[in-house]
Amino acid sequence: MLTVVLQQGINGIVVGSLYVLVALGLTLIYGVLVQINFAHADIVTVGAFVAYFVTHWLSGNYFAGIAAALAVGAVFGWLMNAAIFAPLRDRGNELLPLIATIGVSIMLQNAMLVLLGPIPYAFNTPYSNEVIRLGGTFLTVQNALIIIVSTITIVLLYAFMKFTFLGKALRAVSQDRETAGLMGINPNYVIMLTFVIASALAGMGGAMLGPVLVLTPFAGTSVIVKAFAIVIIGGFGNVEGTIIAGLIVGLIESYTTQFLDPGWIDIVVFALLLLTLAVRPTGLVAERREENV
Amino acid sequence: MSIVTSRRFWLVVAAIVIGLLPAIFTDSYWRTNLIVCAINVLLAIGLDFVLGYAGQLNLGQSAFYGIGAYASTLLITQVGVPFWVAFVAGVLLAGVAGVFLSVFAVRLRGHYLAIASLGFAVITYQVLLNWISLTQGPLGIYGIAPPPPFAIPGLPPIEFSNLASLFYLTAGFAFLVYLLLDQLVRSPVGETLTAIREDEVSAASLGVNGQKWKVFAFAVSSAVAGAGGCFYASFVGTLVPDAFFITESFSILAMVIVGGMGTLIGPVLGAILLTVLPELLRGIGDLRLIVYGVSVTLVVLFMPGGLVQAARLVAARVRRPAKVGRDP
Amino acid sequence: MTGAGEILLRAEGLRKSFGGVQAVRDISLDITGGTVFAVIGPNGAGKSTLLNLMSGIYQPDAGKLTFSGVDMIGMPSHRRVRHGLARTFQKIRLFKQLSVLENVLAGFHLHHQIPPWQYILHGAAFRRDRERCRDDAANLLAFVGLKPRAHVPAGSLSYGEQRMLEVARALATAPRLLMIDEPAAGLNAAEVEALLGRIVALRARGMTVVMVEHNMDLVMRIADRILVMDYGQHLFEGTPADVQAHPGVIAAYLGAEVR
Ligand SMILES: Nc1ncnc2c1ncn2[C@@H]1O[C@H](COP(=O)(O)OP(=O)(O)OP(=O)(O)O)[C@@H](O)[C@H]1O
Ligand SMILES: [Mg+2]
Repeated sequence: MLTVVLQQGINGIVVGSLYVLVALGLTLIYGVLVQINFAHADIVTVGAFVAYFVTHWLSGNYFAGIAAALAVGAVFGWLMNAAIFAPLRDRGNELLPLIATIGVSIMLQNAMLVLLGPIPYAFNTPYSNEVIRLGGTFLTVQNALIIIVSTITIVLLYAFMKFTFLGKALRAVSQDRETAGLMGINPNYVIMLTFVIASALAGMGGAMLGPVLVLTPFAGTSVIVKAFAIVIIGGFGNVEGTIIAGLIVGLIESYTTQFLDPGWIDIVVFALLLLTLAVRPTGLVAERREENV
Repeated sequence: MSIVTSRRFWLVVAAIVIGLLPAIFTDSYWRTNLIVCAINVLLAIGLDFVLGYAGQLNLGQSAFYGIGAYASTLLITQVGVPFWVAFVAGVLLAGVAGVFLSVFAVRLRGHYLAIASLGFAVITYQVLLNWISLTQGPLGIYGIAPPPPFAIPGLPPIEFSNLASLFYLTAGFAFLVYLLLDQLVRSPVGETLTAIREDEVSAASLGVNGQKWKVFAFAVSSAVAGAGGCFYASFVGTLVPDAFFITESFSILAMVIVGGMGTLIGPVLGAILLTVLPELLRGIGDLRLIVYGVSVTLVVLFMPGGLVQAARLVAARVRRPAKVGRDP
Repeated sequence: MTGAGEILLRAEGLRKSFGGVQAVRDISLDITGGTVFAVIGPNGAGKSTLLNLMSGIYQPDAGKLTFSGVDMIGMPSHRRVRHGLARTFQKIRLFKQLSVLENVLAGFHLHHQIPPWQYILHGAAFRRDRERCRDDAANLLAFVGLKPRAHVPAGSLSYGEQRMLEVARALATAPRLLMIDEPAAGLNAAEVEALLGRIVALRARGMTVVMVEHNMDLVMRIADRILVMDYGQHLFEGTPADVQAHPGVIAAYLGAEVR
């Protein structure tokens, strides 16, 4: 029994750390722009497929696959900003960009459906079948890799935000765009950069989720829905909260699968989401901010 | 006001067109599409009331649609209540679900509400899928009867087992709901909802209780979707959870956006266009949803007022010398 | 109007801070009905925050606030409007997509006389109400000089016109106390004169006006009493003559502008 709990704990952390990668991107974008990119998770799917094909073409070089997914994600991020968010920024309607990205999401999913078909792809990396045993529990090398890579990425991102000039600029813009502009930071550049970083993370997250997920063109939908839950539970724009909430959701997912039924995952996660909204509308960790009138 | 710009004139034209449609389209394929159109019109104007007027993005329409469909069907098949009682119950239940959701979310900015409602749609779908003892899960419920015959004294009873009268029923109901919402948005309620959409703080400074009105708009919008669900069930005769997946919410959203949110006629046009167009372009098959996605994105970027805005631009160009009127 | 000569609004020990910033610290004031009460002070002194506390946009951290004897603490801003408090915003918050007329019509929200069923079946009472609202709106627009602009979108008005539309919209709620936050900001000299005339006219009708303003000339000519704030604190309160004579105030704030 204890080993089952431990084993599911490990699985939960594996999935959770990937959700963190995806949700961090959403949170970063929300932080600087107060906008939601609904197509974010479709970049995850695109990343997964890019990694799949690159890994297969290069006869099993999974790291090349991850790198390619990261690059493609970055390009998508740049495109999303240039084509959707930048033109709509000054329309004064906060819902229009969200609606436009819902359109992009439908478009991407169904374009992939036409190109790749609905049958799930079996994405096996060279590391999927190597197993590390720890006591009664085990961990595939693939999953160990996921934990290591996402931890390193999250730490690097955190350090970037805290210690580099660009990271500070990013935080300055998220706090007050006008003042940041006065400080000589070009907000447009920072926003573009945020999209590129966020989407690169999503692409990379996809490359690592690919082997874990049921890889179809619609894989993104199940991910985005959880990523939204994570950013709300963690408090939109709050990096620490997102990390904690991501791990919680990962754990909920694996324990629900073990002890209830996989069909209940979304129900439990969203019950938690609604509960959070009812109790603490700005998220579990975020402080309350009053609109400046 | 000339006759072509009068609202009454166009309402009468619309009623006549509804009356003639089944006579023009006599094959069951197109009559089926007509009914689908009527249901989509209902769903779209319901969403527009909360999105276009109150400015709240409700991505839970698929859930309220599903709640209306399953609640009325289960009441009929499991409890044995008459169709119209089940209909009213389904509508009310969907409305109550809308209130439940909005009570969670009205304190939040628009984005949070959008996501909370999406989450609600996901939960509802999963419940329909997993509560097998009640809903039969993915197997679905089969053999749902059409509405019972409707007897008007002195006339032969109207049978709803035929597609033409089923179309009259759904289209007539959609027309009624349109009239009702149209009257509402032309009253001070319309002013209040638009004020909330434009600036909630400002609206509060005029005495508007934003939370209360958002709950109201949500209730109306989800009750209308629930009515759509009841008709859907009795028309298709089969219920499976996949009909109420979240992509259904996005399809309804696409109809509202493409038609023009913030007007009632826009979503009607959008619903008709996006239902009929893919049928006309059947060769492209899987491309239906791509068309939806592309059109939503392009409309938001280049013509945020949708078909209605486009029509106004054209009309203004055609009769430039004349005074440019407002609504029809 | 009731309350002329009596204390209409009373604040005691109001406090509000945002994170580390104490925007309003321990402000007490009495505002007499039928007077013009001005609040002045340097940028960031907490004037707008004080107005936001009075109108209910924020709730104070501490202190009491009563309006014509009714406790306002904890009451949301939309409820306060029912008691007769109205306001404009320093950062203009019109319904930009709506027409000038529609902006004012939205202000009648609390004053419709329509039986519920007539919201769906528009009848005689409905039409009477619509006509009355249109007439009242036309009068208000005439009062602020915007009648010819009734049908243009509010967003297309000039800055000064937008400020006047905010005033008309607030007046549509039929307030007893009108709070205006920097009404003269961005107005040209002629518009300021017109504004002055309008405030005087309102006072003559018994309206109480609370005005945050940087234009000293306007304040000195029109205010019955002036509250000077600095760093969220009460620096001085008195008549325009008192304020101009007070050395501390001149040093802290007026110096440059009076000379
Ligand atoms: N919602 C808020 N969140 C955080 N800080 C705020 C908020 N509202 C006001 N402040 C801060 O409180 C202080 C007082 O602000 P306030 O707007 O009341 O000043 P003011 O006297 O109206 O200034 P001005 O003349 O520039 O309008 C300022 O330091 C401001 O930054
Ligand atoms: Mg101010």
